[in-house]
Amino acid sequence: MPDASFDAAADAPSPAAKGAARRAPALRLRWSSVFNHGVLIFGVFLMMGPVVIAFTSSTFDPIAIHRDGLKLGWGGEFLSTYDTVLFEKSGFTKEVNGLLMLFNSMVMGLGFAIGKVVVSILAAYAIVYFRFRGATVCFWVIFSTLLLPLEVRILPSYEVVQSLGLLNTYTGLIVPLIASATGTFFFRQFFKSVPEELLEAARIDGANWWRFLVDILVPLSRTMIAAIFIIMFVVGWNQYLWPTLMTTEEGYFTIVRGIKQIMQVWIGANIPAYNEALALAVLAMLPPVLIVVIFQRMFIKGLVETEK
Amino acid sequence: MIRTTIAAGALALTAAAAHAQTEITWWHAMGGALGEAVNAVAEQFNASQSEYRIVPSYKGNYEETLTATIAAFRAGEQPNVVQVFDAGSATIIGATGATIPVEDLMNQNGIPFNIEDYIAGVRYFYADGSGKMVGMPFNSSSPIMYYNVAVLNEAGVTPPKTWEEFRDVTAPALKAAGYVPLAQSHTPWIFTENFMSRHNLQFATNSNGYDGAEGTQLLVDNPAIKAHFTALKDWSDNGLYKYYGAGWADNQTPFENGEVAIWLGSSGSFGGLKKSVDFEFDATFLPYWEAVTPTGYNTFIGGAALFAMAGHPAEENKAAAEFFRFLSSPEVQFFWHRETGYVPITEAAYELGKSEGYYESTPLAEVGIQQLSLPGGEWTKGYQMGFYVQIRDVMNREYGRIFAGETTVDEAFRTITEEGDQLLARFAQTQG
Amino acid sequence: MKKVQFSGIAPPLLLIAPQMAIVVIFFLWPAAEAVRTSFFIQDPFFGRAVFVGFDNYVNAVTRSDYLRSAAFTGVFVTAICAISLGFGLLFAVCADEVLRGEGPYKTLLMWVYAIAPPVAGLIGVMLFDQHIGPLVDFFAFFGWELQTGVDYWDTAFAMTVVAAWKQIPYNFIFFLSGLQGIPRSLREAAAIDCRSPARRFWTVVFPLLAPTSFFLLVINITYAFFETFGVIDVMLKGEPGNNPVSLVYKVYLDGFRGQDLGGSSAQSVILMVGVMLLTVVQFRFIERRVHYA
Repeated sequence: MPDASFDAAADAPSPAAKGAARRAPALRLRWSSVFNHGVLIFGVFLMMGPVVIAFTSSTFDPIAIHRDGLKLGWGGEFLSTYDTVLFEKSGFTKEVNGLLMLFNSMVMGLGFAIGKVVVSILAAYAIVYFRFRGATVCFWVIFSTLLLPLEVRILPSYEVVQSLGLLNTYTGLIVPLIASATGTFFFRQFFKSVPEELLEAARIDGANWWRFLVDILVPLSRTMIAAIFIIMFVVGWNQYLWPTLMTTEEGYFTIVRGIKQIMQVWIGANIPAYNEALALAVLAMLPPVLIVVIFQRMFIKGLVETEK
Repeated sequence: MIRTTIAAGALALTAAAAHAQTEITWWHAMGGALGEAVNAVAEQFNASQSEYRIVPSYKGNYEETLTATIAAFRAGEQPNVVQVFDAGSATIIGATGATIPVEDLMNQNGIPFNIEDYIAGVRYFYADGSGKMVGMPFNSSSPIMYYNVAVLNEAGVTPPKTWEEFRDVTAPALKAAGYVPLAQSHTPWIFTENFMSRHNLQFATNSNGYDGAEGTQLLVDNPAIKAHFTALKDWSDNGLYKYYGAGWADNQTPFENGEVAIWLGSSGSFGGLKKSVDFEFDATFLPYWEAVTPTGYNTFIGGAALFAMAGHPAEENKAAAEFFRFLSSPEVQFFWHRETGYVPITEAAYELGKSEGYYESTPLAEVGIQQLSLPGGEWTKGYQMGFYVQIRDVMNREYGRIFAGETTVDEAFRTITEEGDQLLARFAQTQG
Repeated sequence: MKKVQFSGIAPPLLLIAPQMAIVVIFFLWPAAEAVRTSFFIQDPFFGRAVFVGFDNYVNAVTRSDYLRSAAFTGVFVTAICAISLGFGLLFAVCADEVLRGEGPYKTLLMWVYAIAPPVAGLIGVMLFDQHIGPLVDFFAFFGWELQTGVDYWDTAFAMTVVAAWKQIPYNFIFFLSGLQGIPRSLREAAAIDCRSPARRFWTVVFPLLAPTSFFLLVINITYAFFETFGVIDVMLKGEPGNNPVSLVYKVYLDGFRGQDLGGSSAQSVILMVGVMLLTVVQFRFIERRVHYA
């Protein structure tokens, strides 16, 4: 699978080479560079602005927001608001606080990422390294999952999960989402690109199928596994529709699911707690954003190469 | 002799305490402060006796609670008691066998029940075609008219009794004083369902749907309500009425901000308003069109009822019955009424409120009950229609289009009738 | 397939079993169930079903709200694709050309990818709020009285902006990596042949980005159809009213809010057919391109 664009990306030039290539018409360069920076600064403003204003508003008290609208600057209510949102067992009932919802999101993100990676590796390994009756059928059945996103079969999926008694469980929350076989396809492509000689050498050394997988294939794929893991964690953390339907017990709410509850309080209450709603939004985006920023290189590599 | 009796009594008490408590579940849709009042009622019930224990749990908004209940019922894990809202009542009442009608539940458990104890406006809303009460009215409210006292004084007008008065006197004066004269928070509920009731107009065939789902059709395509919406559109174009969308809070907020002079909301809204506004406000009955009726009739209740789900052991049903008995007692009703602003559902509770002098100190709290207790007509008992949530969505959509100028009043009501009837026919098929 | 393979029956079956089990239980079964229920009208509590043939389909596609929702979905998807691909490409081209600061720009422009759609929706609903929203003030400055929640197209505009905004980083990442994958030699040759940077971009660079663009188009269509659910759900504030809803959202509304299981399933099946067609097109034109769903 590492195809043309993968190889090409690898030999992308250094910034210095790039500069040399374009240094010729100096004047035009300066103007175009002003233009480029202008556009990029506008872009940064466009992408950051809404989030910044959401964060700064969350530090004001709700009455000020209700009166004057969303606010820039520092409202001085940061500690009390985030303390309430994280620790006070309130909001809609007395059972749940932000911390518990963050924990549930973590379970969801990790469970989804681990589940997806493990299941996919095993299935892809079977498809690539074994010849067995039914392999083609299995392949096409798995392939068919790519045709229908969860959203279009949401009602029957819900009914199936309900009839299995899995509503309001972590299993019901996570496992149905793993059904989509994107991970399997990625690992299948990757395994196919692994040189044949490796397997031959391993067999000469007497490795059986399990040892080959554990000792050779998995270590070889570890960067890819990590990249997939990061992407899947973000995807899992950000799930909304499925948790919204699946969980009616507040003890299982993820923080993204909690947004729906915030909206309800907002619709019904008199002076809505804008600050707490925005604080919860900030908390909901923080973990996935941090992971994406910290593991940026790996994340981009994973995204670009697996999506192709 | 006396000592043995006491000893025996003490023994009996211990035995009762040791006897396992029957625990029942109660799913509800009351968030925030209302949820706290629900918890308080449950705690009071649990403290009032030792045999039963009720555990309330919040399941999201009305629609979500109903969906969760249906899912649970199909999985055999339904709660003992569930709160279902007005628009969903046909769905649950139509599912004969899914619930135990309140009247049967009480009779089976030897608890006296008389439908006449309930105030006129709430008595038959959650009843079946034969007049048997199926759901116990719980949080009941009615739309009433709130107004900003200082603003009306400033404009030199009094709260309008009729829409004619609003059109000719009140609204122009309020507009001249620089205010938006009118807003309201729930067009299908206030300007459709309760419009029909206030003017004693038939809302649907089959006795407003109570006689069964088969063949029920909407009767909203009538001149009176179309004239009302034509007037509203005209007012909206001339700055006498402002439509802020289908969201409840979006319409309430401008009243709280003092931009809007008169706001039509729920009789249960006053508790919240008291906390959120710093001006003096008051409330009175909804206006009516004198051209349609010489006097206004009572309005429907809105809100929700409690249903006892079937499929539980007898002792749990007994516990649910005891809870209903507790809930409908005057003291508990009065507590609920006072805490939340919802109306009391029994005559006895209303009397208790009066004798405690509650309405002298808080006259606002009485407006909703008085309006519900106005003389009724043939068509003011309520309505019962399936897929009504979607019918309301159709109404909301078409009303939005009227005010946005995307459709005409005639066209909108034709569409509502057409699509509403299709939905009703589909619902009738599910009942077949 | 590999020329060299392991043999044996048990190991591969064991390895593939978890995946197959999940697919069968949580994918094939529900999908089949959707098709089956779409031919029935069901009582929600007992699941008593009455066979109605294609009634649910006829009912769905002839209802004015369905057609309106379909029309909106078309506009919504087109607008999201145009806006987010356009900005993504613009930022990628500029980021590819700047000599300094590419790294920070890249980070600052891409991280919004990690924000969940409903969280974006929550921020959006406040920015566009009739009473507290700064964007409403902003547009009022230009004489546009934006009434989200009241005016159909104003709400549609707000939803589109929020949904497209959230997707810009994704397109940016792919375009940037696509641009950096264009061999340096090719560009240098182009620079000699064609002095105008604009013409150079459209005649040389952009055609080379075509595969990336096509792939992104498919992904963006999928995103606009399905993943915008959260944005729409939050921005509706619980009342559909006279507000635009996408076809996917309508499946949810009719099924979960309205309890019309048959009607909702029929709409699901219509969408399934649509997605399958889209996927076939995708695979016809670009091989081996797999997306997350």
